[in-house]
Amino acid sequence: MAERDAEVGFKKETVCKLLSGFFKEDRTRLSGDAVLLMTELLKIFVQEAAVRSQKQAESEDCDQVDIEHFEKILPQLLLDF
Amino acid sequence: MSVDEDETRQRLKAAVHYAVGRMCQRMGEDHRRDFSRQVVAAIAETTFRQCDIFAKDLEAFARHAKRSTVTSEDVKLVARRSTALSIHIQNKSEELNQEQRDLKKKNTAKRRSRDTEEESRE
Repeated sequence: MAERDAEVGFKKETVCKLLSGFFKEDRTRLSGDAVLLMTELLKIFVQEAAVRSQKQAESEDCDQVDIEHFEKILPQLLLDF
Repeated sequence: MSVDEDETRQRLKAAVHYAVGRMCQRMGEDHRRDFSRQVVAAIAETTFRQCDIFAKDLEAFARHAKRSTVTSEDVKLVARRSTALSIHIQNKSEELNQEQRDLKKKNTAKRRSRDTEEESRE
């Protein structure tokens, strides 16, 4: 069950490359701490998206979370981040 | 956009999609409510685009502080819009700093013990 306990999230390398790719200037660098914090921030973003969609599905009495549930929570999600 | 750049972009998107998929699956199991594949793809796409906004903000904040390196201070500013999130990120940052301090202490302690060992051998 060790694998179950390990938190799933983004890899540090993924976050680093992702952000670096979006920078406008090539000389902008990322510190190690910043990458770790951004990894946490993105994990929370995805978790929030998932949990809010689940709540929406629950309120509509659906067993599966579908695109319409995500659509409904998306505006507020983007305003919160 | 060149072919090479396009390919890295696709690979990054795939990596984000994979991570989001795993997280959604875990949460589906935990709360007994599964996500459709469409939702996973939509969350992945949203996350990818949100990253674009985050990256541009981080870069602008670093530039404003006259730095060319993005630090944890800039990330704290990105998370400013929601109080709970901001507090969480600040705590996490503190935790990281504490860990680094402990690690440094450990290393100097190790070095010191090694030095005394060598001295006693001499």
